[in-house]
Amino acid sequence: MSDKEKQQRKEKRVVKVPGRTKDSISTVSYIDELGHHDDNARLAPTMENTYQMGPYKRFPANAATDILKDVLTSYLQEEKYEVEWSQKMTKTLCEVIRARVKELMIPRYKIVILVHIGQLTGQSMQISSRCLWDTSNDTFASHFFKNSSLFGVASVYAIYFE
Amino acid sequence: MDYQIEEEAGFVVEDVSKIIKESVEATIGGNAYQHNRVNQWTTSIVEQCLSQLSKLGKPYKYILTCVIMQKNGAGMQTASTCFWDNSTDGSCAVRWENKSVYCIVSVFGLAI
Repeated sequence: MSDKEKQQRKEKRVVKVPGRTKDSISTVSYIDELGHHDDNARLAPTMENTYQMGPYKRFPANAATDILKDVLTSYLQEEKYEVEWSQKMTKTLCEVIRARVKELMIPRYKIVILVHIGQLTGQSMQISSRCLWDTSNDTFASHFFKNSSLFGVASVYAIYFE
Repeated sequence: MDYQIEEEAGFVVEDVSKIIKESVEATIGGNAYQHNRVNQWTTSIVEQCLSQLSKLGKPYKYILTCVIMQKNGAGMQTASTCFWDNSTDGSCAVRWENKSVYCIVSVFGLAI
């Protein structure tokens, strides 16, 4: 698994592709690794067979929920929603949560963290997610936090790497 | 020891984003935000996308998240970070809006 995020960040760019129909606009954004895509796809290391049927250590969803609760309350408790600040805060929260989940040291699990911070102005919204995975090995945890001016939702998904 | 017949080409963003856009258009299309239908919309978008993605037949696990928000002048930020294998895994976010609704769908594809 590649852990060289800082180095690779310089080689990535966020690509945004706009589209338009009669009454809607859409934008697709993804991260494009310049020039490395083909090389990496062929040189991806082929692992030797471990003959392991399942994970020796399962991902603890309870511990993950505690981490999320802890991080969200400590970072967002007394804050007010501001555009600049919340942009930085969502990224910071993602990094912090990822570092703490990695500290749990669960081998062979890939992690995806999602954080949403929004302003509370009486609007309605719905967040839902579905996954196509192996229910016996993969799991997720999520937590919702609210104060007087903002709300925060954080989710962690842990996928077993077979 | 790789017995795959075709080049898998990793996570292909164009195919995935096309699937998502079609699914969102088909579900919400020109509709205005309706609180009692939102739950049904998110479920249907996500399930349609998942079934189309699984039809691609790639050896991937998918995580799909859909956020539907009423246009009210409120601000929202979303960020995601992942600990995975950059050479085989990928993600894509599609932001769709019409006159009264914002819809953000993120797909993460992780190779088995």
